[in-house]
Amino acid sequence: MSVRLEMKNMTKRYGQFLANEGVSIAVGAGEVHAIVGENGAGKTTLMRMLYGMEEPTSGEILLDGKPVSFRGPDDAIRHGVGMVHQHFMLFPDFTVAENIVIGYEPKRGGFFDRAKAMADATALAERYRIPVSPTAVLGECSIGEQQRVEILKVLYQGAEIIILDEPTAVLTPMEVSELLATIRTLAEAGKSILLITHKLQEVMEVADRITVLRGGKVTGAVAAKDTSAEELARLMVGRDLEQLSERTEQRGEPLLVVHQVTMQEKKKKPVLDQVSFAVHHGEIVGIAGVSGNGQSELLQAISGLAAVQSGTIRLKDTDVTNRTVALIRETGLAHIPEDRYFWGAAKEETVAENALMGYHRLPAFSRGIIIQRKWFHHLVAAWIERFAIKTSSAHEKAGNLSGGNLQKLIVAREMGRETPLLLAAEPTRGVDIGAMETIHQALLEKRNKGDGILLVSSELSEILALSDRILVMFEGRIVGELSRAEATEEKISMLMAGGRGDGSTQATA
Amino acid sequence: MLDIFDSSLVSSTIRMVTPILLAALGGSLCARVGIFNVGLEGFILVGAFAAIVGNHFTGSLWLALLLAAFVTLLFSLLFGYMTVHLRANEIVVGVAINFLGLGLTTFLLRAIFGVKGAFYDKDMQGLPQLQIPVLHDIPLLGPILSGHSPLVYVSFAAAILLYLFYYRSVTGFRVRAVGMNATAAKSIGLNTVRLQYLAISLCGILCGLAGAQLSLGQVTMFTEGMAAGRGFIALVAMMLGQSHPFGILASSLLFGLMDAISIRLQGFSLPTQFTAMLPYILTIAAMFFLKDRGMGSNRASQQSGR
Amino acid sequence: MEALKQLRNSLLQPLIATAIGLAAGAVFISIVGASITETYQQMWNGAFGSFYFFMSTLARSTPILLIALGLAMAFRAGVFNMGAEGQMVLGALSAALVALYMPGAGVIKLLAALITGIVVGGLWSLLAGVLEAKFKIQLLISTLLFNYIAVLFTSYLVSDPFQDKSGSAALAQTAMLEKSVWLPKLFPGMTLHAGFVIAIVAAVGLFLLFRFTSFGYEVKMLGSNPFFALYGGVSQKRVMLISMFVSGGFAGLAGTVEVLGAQYRFVDGALTMPGYAWTGLMAALLANSNPIGVIFASIFLAALQTGAMGVERNTEVPLELASVIQAVLILFISARFTYAWWKKRKQGRESHA
Repeated sequence: MSVRLEMKNMTKRYGQFLANEGVSIAVGAGEVHAIVGENGAGKTTLMRMLYGMEEPTSGEILLDGKPVSFRGPDDAIRHGVGMVHQHFMLFPDFTVAENIVIGYEPKRGGFFDRAKAMADATALAERYRIPVSPTAVLGECSIGEQQRVEILKVLYQGAEIIILDEPTAVLTPMEVSELLATIRTLAEAGKSILLITHKLQEVMEVADRITVLRGGKVTGAVAAKDTSAEELARLMVGRDLEQLSERTEQRGEPLLVVHQVTMQEKKKKPVLDQVSFAVHHGEIVGIAGVSGNGQSELLQAISGLAAVQSGTIRLKDTDVTNRTVALIRETGLAHIPEDRYFWGAAKEETVAENALMGYHRLPAFSRGIIIQRKWFHHLVAAWIERFAIKTSSAHEKAGNLSGGNLQKLIVAREMGRETPLLLAAEPTRGVDIGAMETIHQALLEKRNKGDGILLVSSELSEILALSDRILVMFEGRIVGELSRAEATEEKISMLMAGGRGDGSTQATA
Repeated sequence: MLDIFDSSLVSSTIRMVTPILLAALGGSLCARVGIFNVGLEGFILVGAFAAIVGNHFTGSLWLALLLAAFVTLLFSLLFGYMTVHLRANEIVVGVAINFLGLGLTTFLLRAIFGVKGAFYDKDMQGLPQLQIPVLHDIPLLGPILSGHSPLVYVSFAAAILLYLFYYRSVTGFRVRAVGMNATAAKSIGLNTVRLQYLAISLCGILCGLAGAQLSLGQVTMFTEGMAAGRGFIALVAMMLGQSHPFGILASSLLFGLMDAISIRLQGFSLPTQFTAMLPYILTIAAMFFLKDRGMGSNRASQQSGR
Repeated sequence: MEALKQLRNSLLQPLIATAIGLAAGAVFISIVGASITETYQQMWNGAFGSFYFFMSTLARSTPILLIALGLAMAFRAGVFNMGAEGQMVLGALSAALVALYMPGAGVIKLLAALITGIVVGGLWSLLAGVLEAKFKIQLLISTLLFNYIAVLFTSYLVSDPFQDKSGSAALAQTAMLEKSVWLPKLFPGMTLHAGFVIAIVAAVGLFLLFRFTSFGYEVKMLGSNPFFALYGGVSQKRVMLISMFVSGGFAGLAGTVEVLGAQYRFVDGALTMPGYAWTGLMAALLANSNPIGVIFASIFLAALQTGAMGVERNTEVPLELASVIQAVLILFISARFTYAWWKKRKQGRESHA
């Protein structure tokens, strides 16, 4: 196996922060090379340097033994480096074929030759055995199909080295195994694959060699056959994880009762279909599912951000169906939103002003219509201390906080309301291990105090670690319920893909 | 009331539609690269003024049209520089461009012609009315379709050409890509900045011609603020036509008809203020039917949850 | 330290824009062939050269300031109200009609006229807000179109049903108001009237509202990230409708004080020709919607205009120079003004895809 790509001693510095420090990897033709590490370990930075999106502070990239430096993605593409981004770089109104050829369109007589584009796309799909329908409009394709379009696009551009950034995060278990098969096919065709992920099972299944990153440095470079998932986990985290505090069964009265809730745009498939469940005092109910199966809509329905067409939602015996956000919050709801920048914060405002949201009309912090910010500052200071939020002061712009610290601020704000019900959506997405442990511990403490928590997470490990009960969502419906004792990753995966949890599988979309 | 609807109304509709159609097509180019251009009004005004200046000093209508297109192109590059390079808010820039168009034309009206309010020169020729040989002889249709200023025909041709550009050419395909997902366009190495400038400059040229039609086609004079909201009406026409050239053609025809009717009604005993109000009222009424309500509705992006 | 840095940052951009505006003005002055220093000297004199001129500048800034305050409120909430002109003329005419035809004592009529001006301007503005809230009709466009309708409608009213028929020339204007409803002048022989005091008080009030109240907080957050505000329980519709009413009310008040304090009648075109509404919009942008900053921005822009009148009196340079400087200045102020918004919209657009 000849070495096709070498990255030597790559270092990337942002101000004081070293995102990559002396990272070296070598990838051969026909090799699947996994790069694993926790969030913030520097995987993405390394790949952005390879793809010409970031300039390395120092280090050297060799392609077939010759040093190269890319001025931008187009430059990288010309040298045969392609990237399948985690957030797809596709155009929803264009057809699949158009999405594949864009940038390198076939022409005839100065015009865009769509017939040739269609033929090229079909031929390419057949050659690599990647099933897509070239005439379909992309926006109407499933997530799995969109990803296949991304891969075909990169192949069409002539990539010999293909970077896949967290490709399985958005896929159903069945789509995952299809993707892994495709990856092997590509490797057999001589392509070099760089697979970025933190899912160790998949790595063990598909990779030839594995490089582990932690804190921007390489902590291990091994062949897959010589290692195990456990060893990789240790290399990734650098220590054994803290055990979560013990829990006792303490389920109390029903707190949130969702009954037959349906959300549907006119003439479209319902995004929530007759959803019923309850969250009791003193329990964490986890909702598992591939993202995009109605979890976001469910949270928006409960918190009052989106209207439902039928069904009822009761919180503490009050009917809160289609009531205003303010009223529902007042009734007893706090909400850690799934996207901290979109919903959870105003980046241009200060930490203190961000912390004030939801408190600004509480009698405890205002006199009449006048907000008493001085009274409130003590509370913010206490949060900053308890959650070890790294900020120069409460007057720092929220946008200047790191993702993890902003998330801790949001968690502190929502926990601080001490409401009986907490919606926690992806509470640890993109935060480091330390912050994750802090947040998990805080969620458990809240549960132990007798409050109810509805946890939505795309990380099965998080669901399994925290939940007393687990509900699985698929295509807007609750397709299964498992107790903490009976839940296993396998059972949940099966349900997530639309199966019945007993081994049989329904037709997937 | 019925006798206002006759063939000459259709003919005047075709005439009135031209500035709106040209500007709306220009606006759609900007929309296609993801820029909401509120500055069409200012572009038109500058075009109208440049056309008069060109006509007055060169005596040539063709040079006047060329100057109108060229000056408005330069003006649109200023808009492009602010929105694309300095990344200023496109709405604020659009509003400022409208002020600047108004301020510059009134200032230069004083500075160049030494008059306030309006400039008129009886020796100045307006755009000729083309009698299209074969078309002209068709009974009934002939007088309606023939005998308009060349810009009228240019505007209809522009709609067709723009259709071919968007849906048949590679560059047009890429222009649409930029507006649909700029990050993705960048990631595959498309030069989004160049495509945005291209779209904005074409918009400038089209608006320049729209202005020329106002000052040389319909009348032969320049008055302060003579665009009179047509830029905004064009914006609505663009939204109503969903930035599709033929959709825009249809909606512009509707607004052209309103304009024509409001002029026709002046012959009746209604106060002029009410007839003048008609296009604006009907434009607002048309907005009830907008499917893509643009930035007014954040619902879609809310639903997507991110 | 932090506060000083903030102040510097918030002043930097307006100053740069102003410099660019004046530089562009210089280019146009030299195009006309006049002396740049002399022209700007004349401009300064025309605006601040004597106590009388200074008071005239303040008088001119009064409607501009009131309009800018209303728009500051709307812009802060992320609402693009472009309809100040229509709101101003409708408010002004209604106020004039109340002052003319309502029976009662002068002071009562004065107060009633002021309130009518505010309410009518506010309601006209609110209509656009309701259309957006109920039918999703873009405010930005509808308010622009509403201007034409309002201006034409008032023009009709004063050229037919409420026209002053007493004079020999049939001008489009109402009859003269009686003296008892006039807003008092602040200094004898000067044009500055009590409307200026009202405007300053309003500016301080708005500043306090933004700074200290929960409603002000909601407005700020809504402008900063509407989704965050929604998530936090802020009612976007409510804040939008309130800020539309308030901004329209301020515009109506601007027209009203101009009628009651300066012109003493509603004259067709007298409020629209000087471009008060648009200058007010520019002042709000220039001051980045800060109510105290708006005071200085309004006076500055008014000074450009009164200064330009001085320029026209004493040199060959036409007074439209002021519009050019203003427009260039606003073009460049926006390079920052809503940079954050722009990023957010872009972000929204991308994630939508």
